[in-house]
Amino acid sequence: MKRLIASVEDEPAIRDNYAAAFAREGYTVRSYGNRAQAMAAFASRLPDLVIIDISLEDEPEGGYELCRQLRSLSAELPIIFLTARDTELDAVSGLRLGADDFLTKDLSLAHLSARVNALFRRVDALRKPHEATQIIKRGPLTLDSERMQVEWEGQVVLLSLTEFWIVFALARHPGHVKNRQQLMDAANVVLDDNTITSHVKRIRRKFQVIDPKFDAVQTVYGMGYRWVE
Amino acid sequence: MSLRLKLLLLGLATLVLPWEGTRYAREMESALREGEQDSLTQVAQSIASSLQGQTHLLYRDSAPPVTLGPFDLQPVVLTTQPYLDGYPDEWPRDKTAWRHYPNGNNGGFGILTGVFERMLYVLLDVHDDKLVFDAVGANPLDSSTLGERIWLGFTGPDGMEHQVFLSATGAGPVMARRIETGEYRQQTAVTEPRINGAWQPSPAGYRVELRVPLSMLGDRFGVLIDDRDRQGEPATSYGMLSTQDLHTQGRLIAASPDLTTYLSQFLQPGLRLAVASSDGRTLAQADALGQATELGPEPGILARLYRRLLDEPKAHRAIDATAAIYDQKHQQTIGQLRVTQTGERWLTLRDRALTRMLNITLITTIIAVVLMFVFAARLAVRLSRLRGASESALTREGLITTFPETGASDELGDVARGFSTLLGRLNEYTGYLRTLAGKLAHEIRTPLTIVRSSLENLESEGISDGARVYLDRARQGSERLNGILVAMGAATRVEEAIAGAERTRFDIVAVVASAVASYGNAFPHRRFVTDLPSEPIEIEGAPDLIVQLLDKLVDNAVDFSPPGAAIIVRLRSELRFVVLAVENPGPPLAPWIRGRLFESLWQSRTDRDSRPHFGLGLYIVRLIAEFHGGSASAANLPGEAGVSFVVRLARA
Repeated sequence: MKRLIASVEDEPAIRDNYAAAFAREGYTVRSYGNRAQAMAAFASRLPDLVIIDISLEDEPEGGYELCRQLRSLSAELPIIFLTARDTELDAVSGLRLGADDFLTKDLSLAHLSARVNALFRRVDALRKPHEATQIIKRGPLTLDSERMQVEWEGQVVLLSLTEFWIVFALARHPGHVKNRQQLMDAANVVLDDNTITSHVKRIRRKFQVIDPKFDAVQTVYGMGYRWVE
Repeated sequence: MSLRLKLLLLGLATLVLPWEGTRYAREMESALREGEQDSLTQVAQSIASSLQGQTHLLYRDSAPPVTLGPFDLQPVVLTTQPYLDGYPDEWPRDKTAWRHYPNGNNGGFGILTGVFERMLYVLLDVHDDKLVFDAVGANPLDSSTLGERIWLGFTGPDGMEHQVFLSATGAGPVMARRIETGEYRQQTAVTEPRINGAWQPSPAGYRVELRVPLSMLGDRFGVLIDDRDRQGEPATSYGMLSTQDLHTQGRLIAASPDLTTYLSQFLQPGLRLAVASSDGRTLAQADALGQATELGPEPGILARLYRRLLDEPKAHRAIDATAAIYDQKHQQTIGQLRVTQTGERWLTLRDRALTRMLNITLITTIIAVVLMFVFAARLAVRLSRLRGASESALTREGLITTFPETGASDELGDVARGFSTLLGRLNEYTGYLRTLAGKLAHEIRTPLTIVRSSLENLESEGISDGARVYLDRARQGSERLNGILVAMGAATRVEEAIAGAERTRFDIVAVVASAVASYGNAFPHRRFVTDLPSEPIEIEGAPDLIVQLLDKLVDNAVDFSPPGAAIIVRLRSELRFVVLAVENPGPPLAPWIRGRLFESLWQSRTDRDSRPHFGLGLYIVRLIAEFHGGSASAANLPGEAGVSFVVRLARA
């Protein structure tokens, strides 16, 4: 059965382009222009993945509200914010509401479908039993590349997809310095330096919630970051 | 002309007050004078009418003279008592009062008569080529020893004629003598002590000064000179008496001494009463003009100064009034009364008012000028403060938030508030311009997404190779457009990053060293030289931002230097700052761009390259430097060989 992707986007041209792209990938796509339409449809059937724009027609922050309502309906449903808004505050707000990823619209369609595929892979992996081959262990860090899940000292660290890929890129080769471009490529995103910096900052903070002494992600000034064991 | 000077001049305009006051004082003075004049005329008229018919007081004989005969004498009224010494010093200098009697063609004498109190004074000035005195010790009646002799002839109060003579044996006091005929017709010269005087030689001849009590005199008086050139010689007689019988020919037109007494009873301090004959000669006067009028203390120094400034040099200090004395019996005017009053009275009154007014206006003027000066000084200070604020308001992005004087309720406050509003609007506008790029980037992003996603979809549609070329071009164009959007939003994102940055203490030497180490790979066509201190220097801030700052400076240095050039990164420590400098060889900065280099959306690049530039790089440098409590500046290297960008950061 084809997976159902719901796209909530008030710009018809973008909406239709995304729909066409996802249809090409073999997904069923339903598009909605505003929050009311989307919620009415979701009430009867939940899609397998939702892509939400933050500002929806007459609601400048309608996407956030929609995300909150969806999370209350399902804890596992993958949610991606895809928006023209790129401020730090928007990203933090979206991820705090439980979105799996926060993407800006300059992302290419290829990158977008890579993310969608990755999220579906994670959903599938979570349903299957553990496969040890996909697990990387680095000291207290346990990294499951299939489920896209990270544990630190046995506790799950809730990372967004982008954050996961950054940690994955760093931890796969500890001690190697990854520059920003490399991290962007790994995360399938086009971001500027400051956004990478704030992503790294967020990652450190999430680990520090579990372990206040966490300092495995090190900055090499002028070059990038590296994982230190 | 400064504001201060202008207001000072305005203050001097209050000097019109004393000027106007002076005019007012003059008017007051003339009004007072008129009043005094009127009352003085009244006084004169009443005294004059009390003298009506009292001809004997004025002229002693009953008939007032109509015209002056050749031998008539009319004594002047003397103001001082002549000292009987034979010199004319104490006498009035008026030549018209003299009467002259010639001695043929050979000399003659002049006579001046005057009245002082109850005495008639006579001054004789005799022209005589040879002065001959009587022989010493001789009998004055011995005709063989006679010298010059002066005869006085007069009538007594009873009308009897009398003759006395004056003779002297030398210069000095002289006494009159009367010839008396005894029982046996023998003649003796009896001294008449009431008539005395002095005899003195003069260059032209001799002078005799003498006095006669008016009580001895009736209405006739005359003088006869016996001129001799040798003792005992027959005399040449000439003068006012008949040469035959010494009969008195002329009249003595003098007022009764009682007239002065009579006038004295009307006298008051500051007043002079004078009676003149109808032809204008003064007959008698009572004078108290010089006596001080008791109106108050002596005028002060200021008052005297004012009077000197105000009064014309020949001001009429006194007023006088005349009234005719009419005689009913003779049906004619027999004389006139002149009353003179000193001006001291109203002058003192005027001066007192004037002094007070001038003092007040002087004080007012001084206070006004001082106040205006102080006010002007304060105004100037406020204005210069305002000017200073308005000058410095726009040097840096219009960030003035408080403006001086906005609390003041006057016009300057209005100006300040106007400025403040203007700056506020300018600030808003600058802010709008600054965020415009970010807003624009955001708005363009949606249509750009449409273009890019459409192109990507188009790619999947299986198009011909010929069409693919155009598709690639379209995609490249949209990528470039996207790069531009990212650059446009950079300033906003840096501002956000700065706002959200966490401060930590870190060693800036290590951060700079590690950052510079990476530039060699990034820019293979430049050499990077570091000049760093060996000791670590700790500062408080965000190391990420410092790296970003260095990135921008190095980026800039690479852009403006030729390939193969050496870019020098220096770090040195000062007392309170760490100084980071990036130097590159290349074209020097024009002086006019140096101040604007670090402003938002400003750039001096004229060459074109593939990357978008929005003049944000150095603006970001400035923002980061300011976040670290420092500043950024740029200067040319010595010899204009290149440019040095210097950033100061506060030490921890």
